[in-house]
Amino acid sequence: MSQGRLHPLTITIREMVSIFGRMGFSVAHGPELETEWYNFDALAIPADHPARDMWDTFWVKTKEGEERNVLRTHTSPVQIRWLEKYGAPTCIIVPGKVFRNEATDATHEAQFYQLEGLAVGPDVTLAHLKGTLELFCKAYFGPDAKIRLRPSFFPFTEPSVEVDVWFPARQTWLEVMGAGMVHPQVLRNAKVDPNAHQGFAFGLGVERFAMIKYAIPDIRLFHSGDVRFNYAFDEKRV
Amino acid sequence: MKISRNWLQKFFTEPLPSTEAIAEAFTFHAFEIEEVDGDLLDVKVLPNRAADCFSHRGLAKEISAILDIPLKNDPLRSAVKSMDIVSPYLKVEIEDPKKCLRYMGALVRGVKIGPSPAWLRDALEAVGQRSINNIVDATNYVMLNIGQPLHAFDAKKLAQKNGACAIGIRNAKEGEKITALSGEEYVLPTSILLITDAHADVPIGVAGIRGGKAAEITNDTTDIVVESANFDGTTIRRGAQALKLMTEASLRFQNRPSPELCAYGIRDVLALIQEIAGGEIASVVDAYPIHAKKNREVSVSLAKINGVLGSNFSKKEVSNVFERLGFKTKIDNDTFTIAPPFERTDLVISEDLVEEVGRIIGYDRIPASDIGCPTSKIGHPMSNIPDQARYRGIEKVKDFLIEHGFTEISTQSFAEKGDVMLANPLDKTKPALRTNLHGNMKEAMERARYYAPLVLSPSEKPKLFEVGTIFPKEGERLAVETSEPVPNLPLIADDAGYEPKRYELGVFKPFSAYPFITRDIAFWAGDARQDEVHIEKIIRDCAGGFLMHLDQFDRFEKRGKVSLAYRLVFQSMERTLTDAEVNDRMQNISAALRAAGCEVR
Repeated sequence: MSQGRLHPLTITIREMVSIFGRMGFSVAHGPELETEWYNFDALAIPADHPARDMWDTFWVKTKEGEERNVLRTHTSPVQIRWLEKYGAPTCIIVPGKVFRNEATDATHEAQFYQLEGLAVGPDVTLAHLKGTLELFCKAYFGPDAKIRLRPSFFPFTEPSVEVDVWFPARQTWLEVMGAGMVHPQVLRNAKVDPNAHQGFAFGLGVERFAMIKYAIPDIRLFHSGDVRFNYAFDEKRV
Repeated sequence: MKISRNWLQKFFTEPLPSTEAIAEAFTFHAFEIEEVDGDLLDVKVLPNRAADCFSHRGLAKEISAILDIPLKNDPLRSAVKSMDIVSPYLKVEIEDPKKCLRYMGALVRGVKIGPSPAWLRDALEAVGQRSINNIVDATNYVMLNIGQPLHAFDAKKLAQKNGACAIGIRNAKEGEKITALSGEEYVLPTSILLITDAHADVPIGVAGIRGGKAAEITNDTTDIVVESANFDGTTIRRGAQALKLMTEASLRFQNRPSPELCAYGIRDVLALIQEIAGGEIASVVDAYPIHAKKNREVSVSLAKINGVLGSNFSKKEVSNVFERLGFKTKIDNDTFTIAPPFERTDLVISEDLVEEVGRIIGYDRIPASDIGCPTSKIGHPMSNIPDQARYRGIEKVKDFLIEHGFTEISTQSFAEKGDVMLANPLDKTKPALRTNLHGNMKEAMERARYYAPLVLSPSEKPKLFEVGTIFPKEGERLAVETSEPVPNLPLIADDAGYEPKRYELGVFKPFSAYPFITRDIAFWAGDARQDEVHIEKIIRDCAGGFLMHLDQFDRFEKRGKVSLAYRLVFQSMERTLTDAEVNDRMQNISAALRAAGCEVR
């Protein structure tokens, strides 16, 4: 009997976890069905604020008086849940499924995987974020990969940056993730003293990384349940 | 926000660099650029800067700071004179000062409506706006220039009482309707804030969103009421969502520009109107019930800036950034205290100033430092090694299934029925969250059986598994689903010591969307010396480019002869193959095999 095939997403996440694992990151998990507090408010994204438009959200039907639930729009709520439970210093990544209520096409899916990173300590800096992501991208895309940061905005980080990767195989810069220094209000919401600790956070799209690396043309192939996708690659045990 | 280089240039004496250079300056120090087209730049203003940067002035200020070129004239830094011309001709009645924070109105008599001068038409058209008439163009121009939304009403269409007209700002009444400038009629929810002709109590505009038909400016208009107001961001945002009407005005108001801006808006629009349409200012009213609080001072130390960024910026470099941004700065030892200008409502905490320094100097100046994530220091506090136990436990189960011939699938979390229902499903036929993985597995297996000849050898049958989250009544949990029972399948359990197996993948090989055709062939390989590599080459050569899959599925020897059987799968990437053309190929293969001494059965 021959072996079956892992899903390319599993292979990708294992590679990412292994790289971050070597840097000392733990792996954290959190619920896909989230409360409005963890998904938005605790991350300094207030209701009726234009910043909420950054996420097209699936809301869950709730009864009058119940807390509103959403399908998590990002893995960032796990930042709060983890810090509440274990405090700082800490260093985690969170691979997990997230949901966006938007029309699907070759680069957009209503459900996809993110990998969140969080490092909080007394003296974690933006330079550490840059170093960590550069190391990661070189390990994932090859030694010639490099990164650059551009200004951005996320309610839960300050400063916020967009991260571009130089992808040598295509000789081009690609926008691959959002990141920044954790907003002090987010630390306070997670019961961490922002005067004693600071940290960085980032969130990348797992499918997007796999699509770049393996030249996969359509994100909808990932969650179609079609076995031809598993067999569309030559596979080699590392 | 679409801007033109020409328009930006009006703020500078020095000639600006090329559009491309401006685009690059924005990209690495402020905002992404969506598009560059000749003189035009489409700037993706970030949400935290929407209050001041949805304007040429705001973006000129950014370019000034980034490229260190001084602004020639900053309309927001030249003082506004008091314009409160008290007169009996115009009154303003605000129902709720929490929803209308400020309302400045001006009555201008004797304007001459006509086309706009060429410079104004050109300026608007260069950024994709349509020129309408001189009055409407003036309000649009000033909005795009300094960011204050403005509106003009025909004063003669408002009811007069004792020679005065009155503007009201109130919530819509039950069932109230308005016909917008576009001609479309809206039935208004009571949460909508309206501008009314207060004497007649008739709506003439949806506050902060769109003007109404009732007091539209036409060619016959001679007297106008110009509005420069500030409405509550949440009210406008909800209103625009309820009416599904996002406009230039609502976009700006939902981001809460400072009410201070109203005074600059009315000053500039009145000056422009008088220049291009004449008329006499009969009255200016300023209803400003609760004055906006002044932006608080914000402090940050050099140590904090370098401590957050991991940089080594000097005091001089930092003070230079604040100077270029035009912040009033006090320096006390190594601490900078700045008084944010009124339009910079985004500067509240010291981290906001850290970001200003980082982005203006440039993130390329930040070193890449090794976090050294000393696990004893920032790893899991309960353990000396990074804790990946749960993750590893899950991957161990997957590896067990892979070893037992199962292939992993991933499917959608939405289902027809379930215990958790979505309020706003994307696919109306799947409004629930899945309570199990059975349904998707059944469907995937049906397809896998059909596609099996493409990916598996004829002796194998597809076996699938999925590890995914399900959402039953008891609460969400991770489930493992297999297409058939698996003896000794371990349960998911933490395993810190397990090393998940790792694979390297090659580049994606596209698969066809068209049907495939399967054919089997069996024959005696007449000459035992003929090796099977050679036989397969004959088959491949004759089968041609449509052969997707070739599998030997039988082989036995009898009386010195070898019997071989192969399965061939044909498929095109571009079209549906016909039986006839596949039959042709099979005949060619048979003929070639016979020629090589094989006896095709």
